[in-house]
Amino acid sequence: MNNVISLFHRTARQGKPTLAAGQRAVPPAPAAPSVPAAPESAGLTLALTIQRGDFSLQINNTLPLQGVTALFGRSGCGKTTLLRAIAGLDRHAGATVQCGAAIWQQGSHFVPVHQRRIGMVFQESSLLPHLTVAQNLLYGFNRLAKHTPIQLQPEQVMQLLELTPLLQQAPEQLSGGQRQRVALGRALLSQPQLLLLDEPLASLDQQSRSEILPFLQRIASQTGIPMLLVSHQLDDVVKLADNLVLMQHGGIHSQGPLQQQLLQPELAAIGAMSLLHAKSSGSKHHLLQLSIGQQQLQLPAPLHADTASYSPTSYRLRIQARDVALSLTPLNDSSVSNQLQVSISGINPAPHPAETLVQLTLEGQPLQALLTKQSVERLELQIGQQVYAQIKAVALD
Amino acid sequence: MPELLAALSPQDWQAILLTLKLCLYTTLILLLLGTPLAWWLSLSHSKLRTAVQAIVALPLVLPPTVLGFYLLLLLGPHGVVGGALEQLGLNHLAFSFSGILIGSVIYSLPFTVQPLLESFRRMGPRPLEVAATLGAGKLDQLFSVVLPLCRGGFIIAATLTFAHTLGEFGVILMLGGSIPGETQVLSVLIYDHTEAMNYAQAQQLSLGLVISAFAVLFIVYGLNRRFEREAAL
Repeated sequence: MNNVISLFHRTARQGKPTLAAGQRAVPPAPAAPSVPAAPESAGLTLALTIQRGDFSLQINNTLPLQGVTALFGRSGCGKTTLLRAIAGLDRHAGATVQCGAAIWQQGSHFVPVHQRRIGMVFQESSLLPHLTVAQNLLYGFNRLAKHTPIQLQPEQVMQLLELTPLLQQAPEQLSGGQRQRVALGRALLSQPQLLLLDEPLASLDQQSRSEILPFLQRIASQTGIPMLLVSHQLDDVVKLADNLVLMQHGGIHSQGPLQQQLLQPELAAIGAMSLLHAKSSGSKHHLLQLSIGQQQLQLPAPLHADTASYSPTSYRLRIQARDVALSLTPLNDSSVSNQLQVSISGINPAPHPAETLVQLTLEGQPLQALLTKQSVERLELQIGQQVYAQIKAVALD
Repeated sequence: MPELLAALSPQDWQAILLTLKLCLYTTLILLLLGTPLAWWLSLSHSKLRTAVQAIVALPLVLPPTVLGFYLLLLLGPHGVVGGALEQLGLNHLAFSFSGILIGSVIYSLPFTVQPLLESFRRMGPRPLEVAATLGAGKLDQLFSVVLPLCRGGFIIAATLTFAHTLGEFGVILMLGGSIPGETQVLSVLIYDHTEAMNYAQAQQLSLGLVISAFAVLFIVYGLNRRFEREAAL
C-alpha cells in the first residue's frame, strides 16, 4: 500500500484559508442592473434541464461554494455538460446559474463567459500555443477589470506551482504535467471566485498525475478558492475533495461531505473506503502521533521535505475497507499496532457474494470494514456491538 | 530587363497600376467580408450554412461570363442597383472601376473564404473557450488568439485572392469593357493587343503575368508547407 503518498496539512482547509484570510468577503460580481437583487446565497444554485437524443440531464440543486467539491460519476453522465453550463461556455435555454450573490444566468439574463469570475482547467492541454508560459500565465491577469481585488500575485502563483523555471518556454516544450500546472496557474491568476476543473488529470500518465496532485492539494489548502472538480476517478476525488456530488442517471443522485458520501452503496461498489479526520500532536521516533477523539494511532511519519518546516495539526486518513480487520477482544500478539475501539452500526452486503461490508463508528466518524461473510457469521457480529478494528494500511493526506 | 520595361507604353503602365489597384482593393475588402463569413461557416450548424457554402463556391464552377452577365444586368442603368443609383442622381456601376471591383469581390470570394475556413477549423473552438474563461471578449479573442493562430490561413487567403484577381478576365470584360484607366486591366489589355495583332506587346505583358503568378503561387505553397509543419508541432 502507498502508506505515504503525499503530505499536506489540512489546517487551512478546515479552518480559515491562509492566503485569502480576511479577503474572502469578495464583493459580488456586478450583476446587470435589470436583474432584481438576488437573495444572499453562499452556494452555487443550479437549475438545468437538457434533453438531447439519448442524453438527458436534470439538475435542480445548490452545490457548496467551499473547499473542493467533486462532481463524480461515470463518463457520459453529464458532469462536463454541467461544468460547461456553469462556466457559460454553453447556453441552455431556461437554465439558472447563480454563484453566491451573482446571477450568471436566469431567464433571458446571461453573463457571457468572459465576464464570469471563473478559472477553468480543461481536460487536455489548453495552453495558447503562440504564447510563452509567462504570457499564458498572465493572459487572464492582464485582462482583469480594474476593480477586481487581487488575491493572488503572479509571484505567489509561480512559487506555489513551481513555474519559475518554465517561464520563457513554449508550451510545446513542456511535459503533460507541466502544461496542466501552467494551466492551473493561469486560471488562478485570473482571480476566480470559483475554479472549475474538468478532469484535469485524465490526459496524464500515472507519473504526471502523482506529480500534479500535490499542487492541487496545495491550491485547495492555501488559496481558499472554492473548486468544482469533475472526475470519474474515485482515487483522485478521495485525495482532494471535501464534498462529493454523485451524478447518476442524468441527475444528481446525492451530495454531501466526502466522509458521509463514501458510505453510499454506489461508491462502495467501486471500492469501499473510509476517510477519517485525525489530529496530530507531532511525531516521536519517526512515528506520527495521531488522535481521533480519545483514541490514538501511530503511523510512520512522512519523509517529506515540507514536514521539517511545519508540522500539520490535522490529517486526512484514507483507509480501504479491505485493510480493516475486526476482533472481539484487543489483540496483543499481532504486528498490527493500530487498534481502535469501534461500534458496529451496519452490516450490509458487498458487491462480491462472499463478502460483507461492515459499517463502524469510531468516535462519531464512519469507518468501513470489508470482511468475508464467513467471518461475520463466525464472530456473530451484531449491530451495536463493541469491537476492535485493526488497521493494516493508511494513506495520509 | 531594362529594354523590356522601357518598351512598355504608358497605356501598359496604366493597365498594370489599375490591375494592382483592383487586386489590392479586392483583397482588402474580401478579408474584411470573408473573415466573419468564414467564421460563421466554421461555427454554424444551421441548414442555411450548406446553402451559403454552395453560393460561396458558385464562382468556382460558373463561367465568368454568366457572373458578368448578371452583374451587368444588376449594376447597369436599368438594373435594380444601377437604376436606383441613377434615380439618386449617381452613376450606374457598369463600365466603371467600382463595378469591376464588385465583380472581383464576388468572383474571388471562395479564394478568401476557403483557406480561412480551413484554418479556423484546424484551430478548433478550444483556444477561444480558454481565452473567454480568462476574460477575453469576442474582439479581444479575434486579435489575441484568432489572428496569431490562423496567421497562415490569412496570409494564404490574401495571396490567393490577390493572385486570382490578377487573372480575372471574363467578368471584367462583360461588366467593365475596356476603358483605359477605368476598367482596362492587364488581362483585358492583352486581349486588346492580340486583337490588334500587337503580338510583341501582348507577349511582354503575358510573360510578365506568367512570372508574377508563378512567384505568388510559389510563395503560397511555400507558406502552406511551413504552416502545416507549425500546425503539426
